[in-house]
Amino acid sequence: MAYSQEQIDEIKRYCEKVSALSEGGITFLLLEKLRLPAGCEPSVCDALLCPVSRDGYPSRLYLSVQVSSRYSRNWNMTNARIGERNWVAFSWRVDIPNPSPAQLLIAHLMGFTKEK
Amino acid sequence: MNDIEIAEQEVDIFEFAERGAEVPHARRYRIRIDCEIAIFDTSHASGEAILRKVGKRPCGFELVAEFRHCENEVVEPHEIVDLRQRGLKGFITAHKEIVTITINDKPYRIERGERTVAQILTLIGQTPETYVLMEEKDGPPLPLPANLPVKVCGCEIFHAQVQSGGSS
Repeated sequence: MAYSQEQIDEIKRYCEKVSALSEGGITFLLLEKLRLPAGCEPSVCDALLCPVSRDGYPSRLYLSVQVSSRYSRNWNMTNARIGERNWVAFSWRVDIPNPSPAQLLIAHLMGFTKEK
Repeated sequence: MNDIEIAEQEVDIFEFAERGAEVPHARRYRIRIDCEIAIFDTSHASGEAILRKVGKRPCGFELVAEFRHCENEVVEPHEIVDLRQRGLKGFITAHKEIVTITINDKPYRIERGERTVAQILTLIGQTPETYVLMEEKDGPPLPLPANLPVKVCGCEIFHAQVQSGGSS
């Protein structure tokens, strides 16, 4: 999946570094030192945004650590091995037609800020 | 040809106010704002420009002109103040009780303090059930937890958008 420079610049605001990571026919976006919403602990962690269908979800946000937030989440993916690193993810379904990477990221981050 | 006689390079208006003397024309004016000294290159400035000299904005702060004999006058942001007016000692700033925030690029007034996400969304006629509130603070807009109080001091930038995503 190709992204425009504008889209990359938009998502770059949320982290220190963005890079592409290709594995298993999927191009993930590796977001280093991603800023997390208020109330999250830690407030920053690395993340891997999968913009296409994987593990039965239309898209996924993998995180380098399990994050505690204002709402408890179902961390149903632990130790997903991608890019020679282990990742975790909580159950969160995002259905937005043709989102930009930043829109997709925000929709996943909402998983830390809303109850259901 | 400038017909105004510039008597001084720089004058401190406070000193003239203390003496009850007229402030001469000068190249620069030293003005006390709270505990800081600000330098102005012109003899007239708007309330907003005066606030900016001390890193404050009208969305969160009020500007008050202090005169000799303990007289104070609130200065509106677009009001032009003659810095040479007799008796003007300087300015003080004060937190506004009703401040201005922006939501989706539009200004809204709200009471300063801790507010709920629901209270802020009410300003645009929405609720946390259908809308998410995001704050742009030292970085990009990030969603705010609906159950966490939001500290409103004035000038905050919020974005609201339809909720997306859900636990499965």
